[in-house]
Amino acid sequence: MLSRVDRFKEMAHEQMKNERSQTFLSLFSLGFSMLRQHALSSFPDPVAAASYSRSIRAEVLERMPELLEEFEKKAVSRGVKVIWARDAAEANNAILDIARQKGVERVTKGKSMLTEEIGLNEHLIDNGVDVYETDLGEVITQQLGLPPFHLVGPAVNVPPEEISDIFLKNGILKEPTADPVTLGKAARMFLREKFRNLEMGIVGVNMAVAETGSFINVENEGNIRMNKSSPKTLVAVMSLEKVVPTMADAIHMTRMLIRNCTGQKMTSYVSFDTGPKKADELDGPEEIYMVILDNGRSEIYKDFKVRGVLKCIRCGACLNTCPVFAKVGGYPYGFAYTGPMGQAVDPLLWGIENTTDLYRASTLCGACKEICPAGVDHPSLFLEYRSREILKKNAKGNRTSLSRLENTMATISSFGMSHGWMWNFGVRCAKRVLNFLSRDGYIRDIPGGVQGWFSCRDLPALPDKTFHERWKDLPSEPVSSADIAKKEVI
Amino acid sequence: MQAREEILGRLKSVRKTTPAARPAKPVLPEIDLDKEQLLQRFTAELNAQAGAVYQAKDKEDAIRILSEIASAEGIKSVLATSGDIYGVDIRAFGSRNNISVSTVRDFSDRKALRESAFTVDAGITSADFAVAETGTLGLVFHKDQPRLISIAPPVHIAIAPVDKLFAVYEDVIEQVFKNTDKIPSQFCFITGPSSTADIKGVHFKGMHGPGKIFVIFSF
Repeated sequence: MLSRVDRFKEMAHEQMKNERSQTFLSLFSLGFSMLRQHALSSFPDPVAAASYSRSIRAEVLERMPELLEEFEKKAVSRGVKVIWARDAAEANNAILDIARQKGVERVTKGKSMLTEEIGLNEHLIDNGVDVYETDLGEVITQQLGLPPFHLVGPAVNVPPEEISDIFLKNGILKEPTADPVTLGKAARMFLREKFRNLEMGIVGVNMAVAETGSFINVENEGNIRMNKSSPKTLVAVMSLEKVVPTMADAIHMTRMLIRNCTGQKMTSYVSFDTGPKKADELDGPEEIYMVILDNGRSEIYKDFKVRGVLKCIRCGACLNTCPVFAKVGGYPYGFAYTGPMGQAVDPLLWGIENTTDLYRASTLCGACKEICPAGVDHPSLFLEYRSREILKKNAKGNRTSLSRLENTMATISSFGMSHGWMWNFGVRCAKRVLNFLSRDGYIRDIPGGVQGWFSCRDLPALPDKTFHERWKDLPSEPVSSADIAKKEVI
Repeated sequence: MQAREEILGRLKSVRKTTPAARPAKPVLPEIDLDKEQLLQRFTAELNAQAGAVYQAKDKEDAIRILSEIASAEGIKSVLATSGDIYGVDIRAFGSRNNISVSTVRDFSDRKALRESAFTVDAGITSADFAVAETGTLGLVFHKDQPRLISIAPPVHIAIAPVDKLFAVYEDVIEQVFKNTDKIPSQFCFITGPSSTADIKGVHFKGMHGPGKIFVIFSF
């Protein structure tokens, strides 16, 4: 899909004025949190369960190359055709080649964020292969040409009336309706015909198990199972970090993924594929192609300060807990990946200099880090991106007038802070000026600068004495607690 | 091959560190449940997902339960994995209720089986395992258990032996994946009917797969 990661502010303002988005977002965040906590309470110690899943993801990061090699070896021994792809173009072309080789004019897809990342749909459609999304949310966003609002529920905010209109236009629905169930059933009937005659399906991968060469898909709707059962050719697409060491690890990760993703204890279907169908089986794919996609991840892997982002399992819990997402929704993030996980991943995919608003749209409250079952430290990543961007911007030969001003201010502050007399002198001067501007104990504006800062907050006037001065005035003898109490009464 | 070498080369060029020791594995309280409690837990969990659970006393009772389900759901045709599922005579159930029964053995090519799976009123399968933890079925797919029968028809009826009911997923996964020569091409956990909440967060059953699921524990 097309990236619009540079329009955060504009889109955020738009969404905050959108009453429907606001009502929806306020209900959504609360509901999810309750469901999630209830589901996690099946563990006697949910915190221990999260530490364990975090330790699995940390181990995956450390052992990634060997785990990928083991997965590949086991999968190949089961008859899976593994294709390594360096970037989006290689992956897209490989999948297009498979479709052409099989003479397939139409494919269906299970929900996959990775194929959104590489724009697979657009590539196939541009080259004459029809693509039908089959996850209900994806069907709606595909037909309306909308970006995903949420990682898990991409169209969960779209009003049924809009869905009804587009379904009528595209011949999926006969009579207009605002009933979500009727709309869903219409999509069911429409896609059933596609599944019934399907020749090639494309799915993402939730986990690839090194120990057995199996890959796992977690879903509620059954569209992925249709994709993995009906056609003769199956293409699965995974990124490097989807690998896990053992089946036992995969089971614990599945428990954590589902609880953190939808707040359920278990989804309707969790399917494990280990090689194509056996010769005597009457359904299932005769061929499985597993595309293992890098798309920048092996470079990220080399960068120790940011590679923790590869622990992410795309559960979406960070979106649901983020106070910024709860105000602006998914559209401002401008790409398949939204909320804190998008803010963590996108700068590395699209460039730190092209995503400056993304990693600044955070209060650094750390709710994302706290909820994350994979152990991603989002706030540290945001700070790292901010610092890298500033260092690059302020590098010699690169400076703008603003960055020059910033540099000068920083030099003055650092000189002042490292010389005590200078600091005290500076504080005395600043106090005089600032308090001269104050009214009723508050400074509400400073002429000639920092207007942005004062647009939404005031600064209390500075007290007469600094902490040091007050300290000096304290009696040197210890004060008895009785005296303190007396003083407080006075 | 060049892409593979390049990607793995970059990954391997990184200084290796030893992964930190893992904390203790989280305790799963379900493993302490006895047989009776397992069945209670399974039933409660699947009921919560709108799935129905029955216990058949004998072969006749199983046919009676199947007949009840068929009449309540208006089932006129079924596709079954075989004519005899854990001792339950599916053909006898069909002839007594005037329901057309096809079984996997009636099909020799995948197209015909697929057509049948997409047109019958219900699929009847065996369940190789049941897991009490979340009211989950475990299905191993092979020549006698095609995948589509449990996903394409609008109703799924599964017959499971009660001694294949286990506490947690691990009990089942270990059996399915232990013997590397016998790992099935696909294994699937099924928990309740197909469902979605993708429009306005409104939940409903039967998005792409079955809208109803019935589990009969055999004697």
